[in-house]
Amino acid sequence: MQKDRFGITRLLTVTSVLLGTTALPGAIALPVQAQDVANACASGFTEAPQLKAQVDAGTLPPVAKRLPLEPLVIQPAEEIGVYGGQFIDSWGGGNVADLRQFGYEPLVRWSVDGSEVVPGIAKSWDVSEDATTYTFHLREGMKWSDGQPFTADDIIFWWDRVENNPKVMTGGPRAELKNNGAVPTVTKVDDYTVTFAYEQPNGLFLQNMAGPYGQRVVQFPAHYMEQFDIDLNPDGVAEMMAAAGATDYAAWWKGNVGSYGDAAQFNNPERPSIHAWIGTDTLLGKERVTYVRNPYYFAVDPSCQQLPYIDERVWTVAADPEVTLLQSIQGQITMSPRNVSTPQNRAVFFDSQEAGDYRLVPATSCDYNTAVLGFSVNHPDPIKAQVFGSKDFRAGVSLAINRQEIIDTIYLGQGEPFQPAPLPNSPFYNETLAKEFTEFDPAAAAEHLDKIIPMGPDGVRVGPDGQPFKFSVEINADFKPDTVDAFQLIERTWKQAGLDVTINYHSDELFGNARAKPDADAAVWVGENGCGQLPLLNLGRFMNDYGYWSLGNWSGWAAWDMLRLNPEATLPEGWAPIEPPANVQRLYVLRSTIPTTVGDEQAALMKEFTDLLAEEFLTIGIANPAGYYRSVKNNLHNVPAELIEGWLYPGPAPANFSTFFFK
Amino acid sequence: MGSFMLRRIIYVIPTLIAVSLISFLVIAIPPGDFITRTAELRAAQGDIMPLAEQEAMRRAYGLDLPVMVQYWNWISGVLLRGDFGFSFSFNLPVKDVIWPRLGLTVVLSVASLLFIWVVAIPIGIYSAVRRYSAGDYLATFLGFLGLAIPNFLLALAVMYIAFAWFGMNVGGLFSPEYLEAPWSWGRVLDLLNHLWLPMIVLGTAGTASVIRVIRANLMDELHKPYVTAARAKGKGEFALLMKYPVRHALNPFVSGQNDIFVDIVSGGTIVAIVMGLQTTGPLLLDALRTQDMYMAASFILMLSVLVVIGTLLSDLLLAWLDPRIRYQQG
Repeated sequence: MQKDRFGITRLLTVTSVLLGTTALPGAIALPVQAQDVANACASGFTEAPQLKAQVDAGTLPPVAKRLPLEPLVIQPAEEIGVYGGQFIDSWGGGNVADLRQFGYEPLVRWSVDGSEVVPGIAKSWDVSEDATTYTFHLREGMKWSDGQPFTADDIIFWWDRVENNPKVMTGGPRAELKNNGAVPTVTKVDDYTVTFAYEQPNGLFLQNMAGPYGQRVVQFPAHYMEQFDIDLNPDGVAEMMAAAGATDYAAWWKGNVGSYGDAAQFNNPERPSIHAWIGTDTLLGKERVTYVRNPYYFAVDPSCQQLPYIDERVWTVAADPEVTLLQSIQGQITMSPRNVSTPQNRAVFFDSQEAGDYRLVPATSCDYNTAVLGFSVNHPDPIKAQVFGSKDFRAGVSLAINRQEIIDTIYLGQGEPFQPAPLPNSPFYNETLAKEFTEFDPAAAAEHLDKIIPMGPDGVRVGPDGQPFKFSVEINADFKPDTVDAFQLIERTWKQAGLDVTINYHSDELFGNARAKPDADAAVWVGENGCGQLPLLNLGRFMNDYGYWSLGNWSGWAAWDMLRLNPEATLPEGWAPIEPPANVQRLYVLRSTIPTTVGDEQAALMKEFTDLLAEEFLTIGIANPAGYYRSVKNNLHNVPAELIEGWLYPGPAPANFSTFFFK
Repeated sequence: MGSFMLRRIIYVIPTLIAVSLISFLVIAIPPGDFITRTAELRAAQGDIMPLAEQEAMRRAYGLDLPVMVQYWNWISGVLLRGDFGFSFSFNLPVKDVIWPRLGLTVVLSVASLLFIWVVAIPIGIYSAVRRYSAGDYLATFLGFLGLAIPNFLLALAVMYIAFAWFGMNVGGLFSPEYLEAPWSWGRVLDLLNHLWLPMIVLGTAGTASVIRVIRANLMDELHKPYVTAARAKGKGEFALLMKYPVRHALNPFVSGQNDIFVDIVSGGTIVAIVMGLQTTGPLLLDALRTQDMYMAASFILMLSVLVVIGTLLSDLLLAWLDPRIRYQQG
């Protein structure tokens, strides 16, 4: 029994993930973490020995002066820790700005189990009765890593000089900050209070702020950033640009300051930050990067010791995942990175546990599907548009997939057949949507397919025009190699069902072009953000509408929706509006309405949304992913018993790395 | 000799111009650019990059300009200011990224070349002189084995052995503590400690072909009349061997040196990726994948220049080795 040997069954019993409720208007959330510590720590705070030495030498202010009046108190997963040690990470050389491996200190954060939004940099918040206004209370006395105060001005600077500054390259406020397309008014009430006010109720604001985009809000120390602003410091900027040989301000800004997603934001060791560890050198082009503790980090443990416990975090570059895998099982890496911690590698990780002196910690995936297949319902060829747009076709294609075989051979028997739908641990789980057409039933498949593409004389189905019907599917072979294996199995059963299909496997570089071809038939991507409340933030993707990045040529419907919301909108090049069927129109309406609702109304609309999705059956999935884990060195403690992997829940970063320690 | 050298050097110039143009177009012509690639990478992380941001980036980086304008901006910078342009993904001038890598690449290539010489030339001579002996068969067999095993496979096997039997820290040319350390004796020793693995892997294939070349040529030479004549004059067997037939047999070997060098530099890429080496190969591949065009083009240009210089050197060496060559036209 391999399963039991690997202890996988534990994974399947997990139910507590991201199960919370949405922010209710008027409620002031004050979870345990934000209890009043002024009393609890009356006898003072303690700090790491190395910082103590600096304080004694007079080069650093005492710890009580560095911490805010009310520091964030983080409850460790197991016990109070001790200071010291080095946390070694491997880094594939890709985008270092991916905060899932770098750090996670947004305004408000996901709790470790992802069930609720809890205080982070903001110690508390008020939501107006109608859920239009969010008021955040910052921590008085909180400081950037250079000792300068962190105040409301820093947030206002970000809003005025970065997010809404057409001279820098952000493309304007992210959709996640908007509400039904409208930007908020951001106001400073006093030094420690900031208000975000929307015209319509915003039911998703806190969840969005706890996700990756919330990080943007708190990474621009105004006192430091002013020197890089061409309006505030024209001469200085001209000088710096001349020295760098740069001619374009926006490009220079992006490369030297940068916003969320840009490596530049971590590439300047001088730039003050609020992370637990801060850089000591530039990191681009380096083979090894070291981050040291931030003496001004704003959090403590319950016994009033300043966090983080671990002295240093080190990243070494390993371009090839096999090298990373080898280093991980050798025990050289404190926690194995995501790209090698796959179900496929579980056996080798398991076998080397003793030699590498590590243990395996389950890491539940928030992905709602291992692969999502979307057909081009707005195909320029009318025959193909008619076929792909037919629910019978999609149902037939889905019924002709042997999901259990795929799960058994590729996913080591983990996970269950699943369509693109919220996961069972989400309050928005809809069993019909998740399970419809997931059985392998060639007879039923033939019945559905016969209605739109009847079987031709030579065992190949013919289209409505009487011609043999062929289509192709574009797959990114580098992104998730398991998709390649899955579609090799799918191709076989599809051919048995009389489908003349060509599967095109592309490298990472070429997939984008293949997917974006106007006459692409179908494309496959992964389904992200399906657990807990995340489906709320992810409505478009459940409809396979990724905006400009639309898979399966959704652009016709997307263009229609853009014009519906704003008749003046300029459509991206090559997009022409196509009116969707009534149900899909309603889905688009729901997509823009749900974010403006809260509570029961929101839940009811979500029910309607998933019911309609089930009725339309727009996209096809394979299985819900299971069996992920991380290897964790045995001497590393306070790692939660279960980690979560995700994007909008940027796991495992919310697991409080600052409380991890070595024993 | 002088006019021969001059002619050779003049030929280099049009070659380099063509190489620079091709190396730039190779990156610029295919659909998509650095920005689409960035968006693609972000999508793989879960983020969808807004179109407005992409267009702003494209404008800012000058990627919306016609290809030939971009080429001229780049090549004129290279020629006039020694400025190889800007690496988008590293946010650094290209030369700051490339030079350290190029240094390590040359060290590794020269080490592999020396390994080949030290191992292959004596074996080649031995095989020719004692042909069809047990030793010849053994050397020949090992040589073919070295030639037949793909480098990346050998790299994996060597890495596994180093890891499983010797408990070595595999991956990379340095131990973690020396990765970004300044140069010191400790770092040099650490480099040497790691260098032998890739050196052997890269050297084996080259060794096999050099053994074959030397063996075959020497076997032709050994029975020529001048050898018999020299032997008849009572010259010692070893001195005789070294003075005439071996020198002749080295001729094709010398002209082939450049090919071997190119093989090591370019063929080393897969090995470097598999073994996690900090040489140019992985960086070039990465630049090509992310369409970091100035970096990729500069890389290809520099490697091409190396190849052209290598060819020049081997031609000159050949002209010295074999006086007949320098008097021929062409």
